[in-house]
Parts: sequence; structure tokens; C-alpha cells
Amino acid sequence: MEFKDYYDILGIAPDADAKSIKKAYRKKARQYHPDVSKHHNAEEKFKEASEAYEVLKNNEKRAKYDALKQYGARGQDFNPPPGWNDDRAYNEQHSAQFNKEFSDFFSNLYGGSSSNRAESPFETQYEFQQRGQDIETDMPIFLEETLVTTTKPISYHLDGKNKTLQVKIPAGTANGDRIRLKGQGGSGYAGAANGDLYLRIKWVPHPLFDVEYHDLILTLPLSPWEAALGTKIEIPTLRNNIQLSIPANSQSGQRLRIRGQGLNSTIGTGDLYAVLKVVMPTSTNDTTKRLWQELSKAENFDPRTEWRKSS
Amino acid sequence: MSNTTSLQLTLTELCQATSLGSDTLIEIIEEGILEPIGTTPETWQFSNHTIAIAQKAARLHNDLEIDWPGIALAISLIEEVEQLRHENQQLRQQLQRFTPHKP
Repeated sequence: MEFKDYYDILGIAPDADAKSIKKAYRKKARQYHPDVSKHHNAEEKFKEASEAYEVLKNNEKRAKYDALKQYGARGQDFNPPPGWNDDRAYNEQHSAQFNKEFSDFFSNLYGGSSSNRAESPFETQYEFQQRGQDIETDMPIFLEETLVTTTKPISYHLDGKNKTLQVKIPAGTANGDRIRLKGQGGSGYAGAANGDLYLRIKWVPHPLFDVEYHDLILTLPLSPWEAALGTKIEIPTLRNNIQLSIPANSQSGQRLRIRGQGLNSTIGTGDLYAVLKVVMPTSTNDTTKRLWQELSKAENFDPRTEWRKSS
Repeated sequence: MSNTTSLQLTLTELCQATSLGSDTLIEIIEEGILEPIGTTPETWQFSNHTIAIAQKAARLHNDLEIDWPGIALAISLIEEVEQLRHENQQLRQQLQRFTPHKP
């Protein structure tokens, strides 16, 4: 069992007073709260800080912890002294059900972590009944799959086992949507309801298309002569390939709209925008060099007019 | 398929789904954090999306000891930050597609 240095976790001195402990905890909690923080292990850091605060804010728990620390506990191979835990008042059987599960170290020292939950003022608590845990997991979806209602398998970890469900993903499901599967979460305890399974829809980035609301953006590379003379190009859409007319004298950055070729959404079908990107050849030969030179003589073109406007 | 996804929830169903008491949910609603359809608690209807917001509000209230008006502000700011992050990521990606690739 790993010894937890609660003072270290909160970044405070071992003789810190109640006020500094609270302040240090609040700071860590704001910094690492999973609803606020984008830190990659925010949840873990937040749990650590909550656990440290749970112990250090309570004089009795703190004294017990300090005594243990005095005993010389350090590092990974921590073993409690004999008889140190005889006064443990309670040991909840079902602490594993709670989202805010504390470390083994905490559970060994103070029993289950559920006391922390029971104190919460706004939860309906029954003495023994406990609703099963909610489970949240990401569900990756390809953009193509959002066009029609599809059924996909989802595998998740439940009560130490892998469970697979077939899930219906309605057409037009948006990135970040949550699909709730009632009763598919953790089992309830003593006749209480099961928890729910929440699937967070995550669109897989597409190699060609970007998404803006329910519109799609396709970057369309053109040669300088295609942009100058205009052309017809076969372009991909999410559904099929289509012919697109590029008008003469097109500019880099210009957007061409193709109606009704965007994503399907609850508020209708979006459009596809082809963003033109004029690409220069990376090399010249004698012939092309001569042609560019002819062009530079024939054209009286100033590409930097915007500089003059602003000066 | 055995699993069902209901689109609208009643107050009782929302209490069950979030493990929150109706008093707490009413406080959250009065603060404008959740906006049900309907005029009285008996006729209130909540969208599925509400569950996530209610849970988030409860966590912030519990974990950071923020009062409800503070949570209303925090949640709208968090939403804005998420929106901006998303937009930023989109624009970065488009910019990357637009700049020349190194051979």
C-alpha cells in the first residue's frame, strides 16, 4: 500500500492551520475540478486533493494520520503498525460503488469513503439502498455514420466484466451529445435502481472535411491556371462525388457553396463549402519559366494593393 | 434493442437519474441553470441534456462549495470556454489545411 502524504498533496506545511488547509484545498479543487479543468489527469488530482482535505479538515482524522506519519511511513511499501486500526468504527461494504472513490490507503485508515457522500446535503439517502453507479464513456462516430440512423456496438467495463450493447445512434446526432441508456450502469444495492450508461458522442476527425455547425468545409487545391481560367472538378462529398464548376478568376480563400451536401441535423441539412486554395508548382523548367516570364510582361497586376490602401 | 433513450423526463425521473432531491433541483431551476418546459413542477419536462447540467451543478456545489448563483455563472462561463476551445481547434485545423505542406 502506498503511503499518501496529504500535506504534500495540498502543498502545505505539516503544522498548517485549518484556515490554510481549507485555502489550499479550495485552490487545488478549482484548479483540478473535472468539470472545469482540461488537465489530462484532472480527475485523479482532484480526488487526491479531496481525500487529503477529507482527512486534514477533521481534527480526529488528522490526529490519527499524523500519528501514523510519525511512525515513519514512507513510500510504496507502507505497512501499518500492529493494532493501529482497532478503533475503526465503520467499514462500508459498498464503497466501490461511489464515483468519488478514495485510495486503498484512505479506506484502510478510515473505512469506506462513503461517509463523504452521506454528508452531502442534497442527496436522497436511504439507509442501505444505494442506486447503481452511472457510467460515462466516449462513443466515436464517423461523420458518414451521422447521415442515417445506425446501430453500433459499444463495449464498456461493468462490475469487473466487459459488457457489449447494440446502440441505436439517431441520424443527425451531434458531437458532444450524450445518449442515455437507462439502467445499463452499475447494479443498484438492496433493491435500488441500476445506474445509467451515458455515451458521449465524439466525432472522429475526417481526413478531408471540417465541420462548422452543420456545414462541411472541404479545402480544394487548385493550380494557378485552373483558378485563372476556370474548370470543372470532381469533388468528394460525404455522400458521393459531384462535379463542381470553378469560375474563371477565382481567388485563394474563396468559398463555393454546394447546397444540401452538409451534415444532417435536427434543424435540417447543412451545406458543403469548398474553400479554394491556389497551390504553386514547386519547380519550373525552361518552358514554364519562359511562360511565367511572358505572363509577367503581359500582366499589369499588383498583388499588394491592400498594403497601399492601409498606408 | 432493449435499451431505450427517452427524450423528455419528468421531475421525478430527473431526481432518479441525477440522485438529487427535488428541493435541490427546484433551487437549480429557480436560478435558471436548468430550463424545463412547462409551468408547474408537476408538468415540467426536461430534455436528456439537462441531466448532465444538473449533475455538473451538483458536483460544483458539493465539491467547491459554490452557491447556486455562482454555479449559474460558472456553468455559463464553462460553456463559453468549451465553445471557444472548440472554435479555436476548428480554426487551427482549417489553417493547417490551408498552409503549404512541407515536401
